[in-house]
Amino acid sequence: MKYLKVFKALMLSVALTAVSIMGVSTNSFAKSKFVFANSSPYDTLDPHVIYDVGRVASRLNMYDGLMRWLDNPPQLTPWLAESYEISADGKTYTFKLRKGATFHDGSPVEAKDVVYSIERILALKKGAVSLFSKSIEPGSTQAPDNHTVVFNLNAASSIFLATVPAIHVVNSDLLKSKEVDGDWGGTWLSKNEAGSGSFELTRYDPAIGFQAKRYANHFMGWGDKYLDEIEFRTVKEINSRVLGLLNGDFHGTDGYLPQDQVKRLKADSNMNVLEEESMRIFYSIIHNGRKPFDDVNLRKALSYAFDYDAFINNILSGSVARNPVPVPNNIWGNPKDAKGYTYDLEKAKEYLAKVKGPIPEITIGALAGYGQTEQAAALLQNGLSKIGLKSKIVAEPWSVASKKMRDEQQMYDMLWLWRSTYYADPNNWVGEMYACDQVGARNNSWYCKPEVDKLLMEARVEPDQAKRAANYEKAAKMVTDDAGGIFVYNTKWFGPYNKKVKGVRFSPIGNAQEMRWVHME
Amino acid sequence: MFESAKFIISKLAKDRTSLVGACLIAGLILIALFAPLLAPYPQDVTEFHPPERLLGPSMSHFFGTDRMGSDIFSRMLFGARITIAIAVIAIGVSVLIGVPIGLIAGYNKNWISDGLMRVSDIFLAVPQIILAIAIAQTLGPSIENVILALSATYWPFWARLVYAETRSALTETYVEASIALGASPFRVMVFHVLPNISSSIIVRTTIGMGGTILTAAALGFLGLGPPAPSPEWGRTIAESREFLPEAWWYATAPGVAIFLVVMGFNLFGDGLRDILDPRTRRSHDG
Amino acid sequence: MRVLVLILNRMLWFVPTLIGLMIITFTISHIIPADPVAFFAGENATAEQIEALRARYGFDKPLHIQLVNYLIGVTQGDLGISIYTQRPISEDLLARLPATMELTFMAVFFSTIVGVPLGVFAAVYRNSFLDHFLRVLTVSGLAIASFWLAILFQLLFAMELQITPLQGRIDGWGPEPITGFFILDSLIVADWESLKSALSHLVLPTLTLAFPAMATIVRFTRAGVLDAINSNYVLYEQAMGLPSNLIIWKYVLRNALIGTVTQIGLIFGILIAGAVVVEAVFDWPGLGLYAVEAILNSDYNAIMGFTLVTGAFFIIVNLVVDILHGVIDPRTQG
Repeated sequence: MKYLKVFKALMLSVALTAVSIMGVSTNSFAKSKFVFANSSPYDTLDPHVIYDVGRVASRLNMYDGLMRWLDNPPQLTPWLAESYEISADGKTYTFKLRKGATFHDGSPVEAKDVVYSIERILALKKGAVSLFSKSIEPGSTQAPDNHTVVFNLNAASSIFLATVPAIHVVNSDLLKSKEVDGDWGGTWLSKNEAGSGSFELTRYDPAIGFQAKRYANHFMGWGDKYLDEIEFRTVKEINSRVLGLLNGDFHGTDGYLPQDQVKRLKADSNMNVLEEESMRIFYSIIHNGRKPFDDVNLRKALSYAFDYDAFINNILSGSVARNPVPVPNNIWGNPKDAKGYTYDLEKAKEYLAKVKGPIPEITIGALAGYGQTEQAAALLQNGLSKIGLKSKIVAEPWSVASKKMRDEQQMYDMLWLWRSTYYADPNNWVGEMYACDQVGARNNSWYCKPEVDKLLMEARVEPDQAKRAANYEKAAKMVTDDAGGIFVYNTKWFGPYNKKVKGVRFSPIGNAQEMRWVHME
Repeated sequence: MFESAKFIISKLAKDRTSLVGACLIAGLILIALFAPLLAPYPQDVTEFHPPERLLGPSMSHFFGTDRMGSDIFSRMLFGARITIAIAVIAIGVSVLIGVPIGLIAGYNKNWISDGLMRVSDIFLAVPQIILAIAIAQTLGPSIENVILALSATYWPFWARLVYAETRSALTETYVEASIALGASPFRVMVFHVLPNISSSIIVRTTIGMGGTILTAAALGFLGLGPPAPSPEWGRTIAESREFLPEAWWYATAPGVAIFLVVMGFNLFGDGLRDILDPRTRRSHDG
Repeated sequence: MRVLVLILNRMLWFVPTLIGLMIITFTISHIIPADPVAFFAGENATAEQIEALRARYGFDKPLHIQLVNYLIGVTQGDLGISIYTQRPISEDLLARLPATMELTFMAVFFSTIVGVPLGVFAAVYRNSFLDHFLRVLTVSGLAIASFWLAILFQLLFAMELQITPLQGRIDGWGPEPITGFFILDSLIVADWESLKSALSHLVLPTLTLAFPAMATIVRFTRAGVLDAINSNYVLYEQAMGLPSNLIIWKYVLRNALIGTVTQIGLIFGILIAGAVVVEAVFDWPGLGLYAVEAILNSDYNAIMGFTLVTGAFFIIVNLVVDILHGVIDPRTQG
């Protein structure tokens, strides 16, 4: 009997201790520290080896480029460069650097650093390299004086300027001193930074994230309201990010949460959910290079078999805008009068009847872990079965899908995914997705039609934006009429922030993760 | 043989917990067989109604609806088919591989038997789940590959068990006698040793079913099982996570299903073991 | 003497078993259809760039040469570079080990200090309400899917009641890394914030992991105690008039504990297997999660490294348990 009492007492004291220890986490953040919960891990800090949206915060806050995309609709703003000139033949771009910009170690940002940066990108062959590898030869970029950079493209390009922000300028002296075995300082730079950006790195752990403090001498200057410290942490689970926001552990998280979570956050009095139309289209690739998908009738049948309304209004709770063409609604070059497809099984059957030959089981690809792609695949499968087509869904991780996408044999018949903004130019979408010279690279639909390609190639070198817009509009309409893919929606960004956070500036490039404009009340 | 079977059944019937287990297993089999008749919305395995997504439990949807608007209760019933198929075939294959290997290894006392046991040891050296995940991921997510992965990781258990039992059976006089009388190794193994160790195998198989089902569900949870829109229980739990805590029914239903099924096999297996294998009986006089 | 033979036999087979393990893992991981090199070359890489990267990792050589190179490297302590983290795998494994060990230790600790007394009481107060309740609980404990239990705990304690964190090992950066064990490190530097955070994050994963282990411990302890209580020795002592409390604590409990210790191998197996799934659900940065991520990312080298290390570890643990078994319990020798 005694032992029962002892046992009970022991358990009670253990429980009491446990409860008192758990408590509620106190949030003793300094008033001007901003913590962001990110869905992907920051596994490297090297700005030249990664170029994805998930890890943009390190590049955006610790590095600068000659130009920068700001706001929505995106404006190309001079940044490290104060002015630029384009030669008449469109092949030479001369940038004048502003004076007074410095790296975090105090040394000035000079033209030679810009040259080193572009050479480094070309040499490492990673990250944003495909934007430049076709038009810039290694060794062709010059620095005639400390504040002038000359890019000598091998052909006129109208998109070059739009892609200039992707050249993040690194401290060439510092990196050269850290070079080991010709790695361009890569081993060191993956864990450190050599930038001039608004914030400088104070702490980094690839398993946790990074911390940075305000760089007071940044050339853009600071008002009287700013953040002293920023921290970007990896929190993989959606629910954890949401709960952390509600608890006050974080002050912000990514703006592409499922709508159910957004509703939850909107309902909380401590939260402020900002809403913007982004440029990120959701679509399904159709493998145009494989029989019988090369038959436009089959592709049209597929396009009429997807329940767009159910997907947008029910599964996504009406939180996105229908975007029936391969260019986002809110950028120039979007054909405003294009009708696109609707969920119409009768029409689908009509076109299906015109398809010659047997149709094998259709493989619909989805990205494992991205519920929306799986739901879209299931919805499509449902529609297809109603018109008598058999299909199977294959959900694989991005590491598998991204490899298969580049191989004509291994590529799925269809694949659901998004196309984000890397630079605000229609070439980023229709210009890459359906260009013949991008087949197997950024064109994973194996779509190559001479009439469309002519328009796209012209637009790449035409300097007049109005003319370019006309080309892209026409090309987008043609691809849509040709049912080159199934185009569903353009994403809306719902940025959830603690209501103390002020000054957030959203741009589809950067997704509001640039912290220099932000302060906390 | 039938005498002992009748005896076993009558003893089982008297043990309450085994009876509960047997009922649960019978329930699983019946549900799997008659799912199309029992399910209120059998078409919901492949059809979706997005306007009705994530509704709570009600008279029309006993366990609510999932992210695509399908009736969870109906899908769970069909999920039973998948569970049974995976468990039975995987265990069947492991037994078919493991038992002969164990018999051969146990009967012989040469490098062959040592080698076979070493190979089993290699497979047993890694946590089963890791090996299963690696194999399933390599082959791609599908029901066949889950079965393959499970068979490949479970056969060593049977090989080991049969090996030990065979070795001790070989010391039995009747076995020695039959060998002395010139019976071929095959005869000895199949007609003398096997019948005697069959009770161990049966007990182990029943108890092993539970573990197999759990591992299969874990594979489904990690996305390595049958792909969408399969109503596999583990996969459904994974799907439900992003809708918690509001849609609590979404995660509860498949979990309870797994629990009941595994419980059934565990209880029944325990009962069987107490009857067939008194040596290893656990003192649980109730 | 038998023990010595056992040890020698096992050690002789240690290396060949590991090599066999390597061969199997190597074969498995190299049939993978995903190309991790292509993934890390980035979506902009051309075919030449991918080939160059492949050469850098030595993946362009024929398979058997890759295997031999790998085995040679292992003998020098080099487990290769993880394609995903770009760091040496031995570093990765060492960095992740404390997280798993801390969790496993807490689970063992918790399941023992709760499970053993419960098992004793269940046996001593046989057929009482407590005993029946425990019977149901332990049978359930072995029938519940760990990942489901983890999600249920999250649902109840983290989401509804909000008294524990949802996942992860700690909020923020943790204490100064000295041993890698957050609890120890925070105590050493008196970092109370980190200690609180570490402990609160340990609650749910420990409970989830401990549940099946505790079920086993309760069952075995109960059985062991019942056996002891019914044994002649105890009857004798009772006849001699010794107070029953003394009997329980002096003899019965000791026997029960011995029974538990010899089941450690079994418990360990449960814990390691459970740790993989539990770490995945709670995003616990340990070896289990490392393995799952490595497999899903097709990180060949990491898969091999992990298998090698856990395989070796498992074999050693089994050896120790077999020795303990042989030494402590002479009845079950042979």
